[in-house]
Amino acid sequence: MSTMDYSELFPKIQAKFKFTAGENIVSIYEVVLLEGWVKTSRILSLIENCGSYGFFVFNVFRGSAGISDILIDYAFPVNNEFKIDVVSEDADISVTVTFRKVKLLFEMMTSEKTKSFISELHKISEISAEKENSLDFAWLSKYVNEATYGRSAEDNSQNSEVNGQLEDLPTGSELMVPRHSIARGTTPIAGRESAVRYQMTLKEKDYTYTQSIRIFVGTWNVNGQPPTVSLSDWLSVDPDPPDIYAIGFQELDLSKEAFLFNDSPREEEWLGAVILSLHPKGKYSKVSLVRLVGMMLIVFVREQHVAYIRNVATDTVGTGIMGKLGNKGGVAVRFDIHNTSLCFVNAHLAAHVEEYERRNQDYRDICSRISFPKFLPPKTIKDHDQVYWFGDLNYRITELDAPTVKRLIETNSYDAILVYDQLKQNFKAERVFEKYKEGRILFKPTYKYDTGSDEWDSSEKNRAPAWCDRVLWKGDKIKQICYRSHAELKISDHKPVSALFDSEIRVIDAIKYRKIHEEVMKKLDRLENEFLPQVMVDTTEIIFDKVHFLEAQSKDLIIANTGQVPVQFEFIKKLDDSSYCKDWLHIEPYMGFIMPGEKCDVKLEIYVDKRSACELNSSEDNKLYDILVLHLEGGKDIFITVTGTYVYSCFGMSLDLLSRINVPIREITKAELRNLEKNNDYRQSDPYAIPKEIWFLVDHLYRNGMKQHHLFEQPGLHAEVLLIRDWLDLGVPEHLRILCHC
Amino acid sequence: MSAPPYSYSYIFKYIIIGDMGVGKSCLLHQFTEKKFMSDCPHTIGVEFGTRIIDVCGQKIKLQIWDTAGQERFRAVTRSYYRGAAGALMVYDTTRRTTYNHLSSWLTDTRNLTNPSTVIFLIGNKSDLKDQRDVAYEEAKQFADENGLMFVEASAKTGDNVEEAFVETAKKIFQCIQDGRLDLNATESGVQHKPSQPGRQTLTDQSPKPSCSC
Repeated sequence: MSTMDYSELFPKIQAKFKFTAGENIVSIYEVVLLEGWVKTSRILSLIENCGSYGFFVFNVFRGSAGISDILIDYAFPVNNEFKIDVVSEDADISVTVTFRKVKLLFEMMTSEKTKSFISELHKISEISAEKENSLDFAWLSKYVNEATYGRSAEDNSQNSEVNGQLEDLPTGSELMVPRHSIARGTTPIAGRESAVRYQMTLKEKDYTYTQSIRIFVGTWNVNGQPPTVSLSDWLSVDPDPPDIYAIGFQELDLSKEAFLFNDSPREEEWLGAVILSLHPKGKYSKVSLVRLVGMMLIVFVREQHVAYIRNVATDTVGTGIMGKLGNKGGVAVRFDIHNTSLCFVNAHLAAHVEEYERRNQDYRDICSRISFPKFLPPKTIKDHDQVYWFGDLNYRITELDAPTVKRLIETNSYDAILVYDQLKQNFKAERVFEKYKEGRILFKPTYKYDTGSDEWDSSEKNRAPAWCDRVLWKGDKIKQICYRSHAELKISDHKPVSALFDSEIRVIDAIKYRKIHEEVMKKLDRLENEFLPQVMVDTTEIIFDKVHFLEAQSKDLIIANTGQVPVQFEFIKKLDDSSYCKDWLHIEPYMGFIMPGEKCDVKLEIYVDKRSACELNSSEDNKLYDILVLHLEGGKDIFITVTGTYVYSCFGMSLDLLSRINVPIREITKAELRNLEKNNDYRQSDPYAIPKEIWFLVDHLYRNGMKQHHLFEQPGLHAEVLLIRDWLDLGVPEHLRILCHC
Repeated sequence: MSAPPYSYSYIFKYIIIGDMGVGKSCLLHQFTEKKFMSDCPHTIGVEFGTRIIDVCGQKIKLQIWDTAGQERFRAVTRSYYRGAAGALMVYDTTRRTTYNHLSSWLTDTRNLTNPSTVIFLIGNKSDLKDQRDVAYEEAKQFADENGLMFVEASAKTGDNVEEAFVETAKKIFQCIQDGRLDLNATESGVQHKPSQPGRQTLTDQSPKPSCSC
């Protein structure tokens, strides 16, 4: 990856796709794409046109002269259907990119560059998601049409309900494993970790089941009052205890100290009051408490769920004075329960009747600024399966005067008033809380009351009562059970509100998970085995017949690649050996590379010369014997036995021994030779002064070779050397008439 | 994603040793494939198999080296002992000679592995009851005297095969937890970080200096 020349790529991509004016490549990065079980290299690129971004996956083909072709695999608009997630950060960073039903998994090296690429992508996707409506992706369609797989994303979105649709996509299908490409050695099989992780993500539905949990969401603007009353009338009015409590307060403390130092004794007081009033039939544990000035959010969970809560994180955002301070804003708690991520946001948006635009802006600021940096890239509110957003959102009733509103309230004609509710109006115009839902309001406005009573505010302002305190949610499979206010609590000028939800969360079925995990592992094991190097050798025993001194003999060993992957073989050393074969053996080639279905002829040549003869002469029998270890890189070892019989010769014998033998050496048996060698007492009556072999040679030269030019200066002819050897070993001097070359 | 760890956290190297024909390859095959190979050819070389098992909640990848049992390969197979965390020493309960050779196999194992290597003695072919040639008690005593773990197993029926491999892994895992096995030692036979598929080569594979004959 590091050798990637991006400067070469820019013009190539531009030329290839005839970029029109306005389209420019924002960033480009080489990554590894994991498809099924295999890894292939891809180029990711962000291309911008008039503020809208396209995410491209390029398949770059390289020839010897550089880039030979570039194809678009995918072209996705970066909109609110586009998602990028970092799934793990081990040795490499794994990132999933999701667009509609297509999910791609990429691996990137851990580096600053990677991190900046991811966060850039993340930032752009976030910005793009926010201004969805204003973005024009028409320019992208020509590329989508050209993309190899892009169309399937489009087609698929129309049948997204069809089960198993994912299987038809190239990413989920094993048929797409480019076997021939693996076989050519161009596509390595993916690392086990990532392959398993990827397969498990694809099969998530098969090992999770849904379970309904009851969530109590409460919100109350307490107007700086201390908790002087029991909260049971708010928190435990239902017959059954909820599984999760998320309780938000606003204006918990209106003191300067709280505002300036974010320090408040009220936190403890209200926490204590809440704990005392939780449902008596349930035992609860506090998951988290987060507070910013007067905004406080406490989350409790029933004890039986504690073990399944993970990755708890909190964040706060002030949108008050100067757009930063904590008199207004939001606080959030996120966590995973089983396999589902939840986020609770307690907000206190800008006040004053006419300031609804300010409130919309506060909402957007909280959305973009709440961030949980323990994840990479940091998760934001929208990155959760379920979001519950509540608090004193401060939206009022406009266009109706206070007496009319109060009159309508008396007849319970809430719907008639809600037509003029700013939140409903802005929501309808899609200016705020896009994709959120709110239940039908069947309770009186919660603001503003005379403290300590159920009477509407009697101060001079005479404002129209309003539903300032609201609960909204976002996510699938969430059912609101009730939505209500609690008029019994009178200590504030607001009434508390609560909502109950039955929400489906995904739970891992441990048994199914194990089973599927095992299946994936087995499949991978099978694949791993299938792609193990496999060879056949035509024999494991190479037998040479008689081997003579200085006479080379060779035999072939055929190594055939019978497996599915290229094989790298090598003859390797055995323990404590200095070489992979004996010095009388030569293997050519001793290492090599064989493509599947092909074979390699290895030549084994035996050649005994003066260096190895001595040792062979003194060996027990005349056996040439070696076991070769043929090692397949990443695979098994095969032992090849090489044997032969050495025809011993006077060459390589000690002079002492030769001088004690008065017959040609081959006329005595090996056993006799050995006795002679070992036992100095077993002497021939009288040893020669010099070995007869030396005498013969010198004598012969003296008789016939004195006139030979360059005597001792040029080497003997090989054939003649062999004749001399036989003459000396067997004693048939007639053959030697004219040989004087050595 | 809440899930137990996806992949293994340790790799243990095992070797299987013992006389020819005692059923080493069949034991490996039974363990990795849960099948009996009825006409298994003699191993000429070293085969290997892997399987991932669960020990004390940890996923462990066993990398098993099945060696040739023929006497003539003995010197070569000695190369493969180094760095084994577990050694499965196999004899044939129906052939006494294979049992008699155990002390020699044990000597090799002790000499060529490190002191923390777990040695597990397996008396194979326990299904052939009427051909029994070595009493359980006798082998048990041999195992006890030498501090070996021991079972009689059958690669044919699968009886005790899983146990032998898994018990060995448990013992190794215990040694790691007790600190008796030093993970940093190059020859511990245990790798903590999972590596790419494939294996570490055992012997030094620098090429032979060019042969000048």
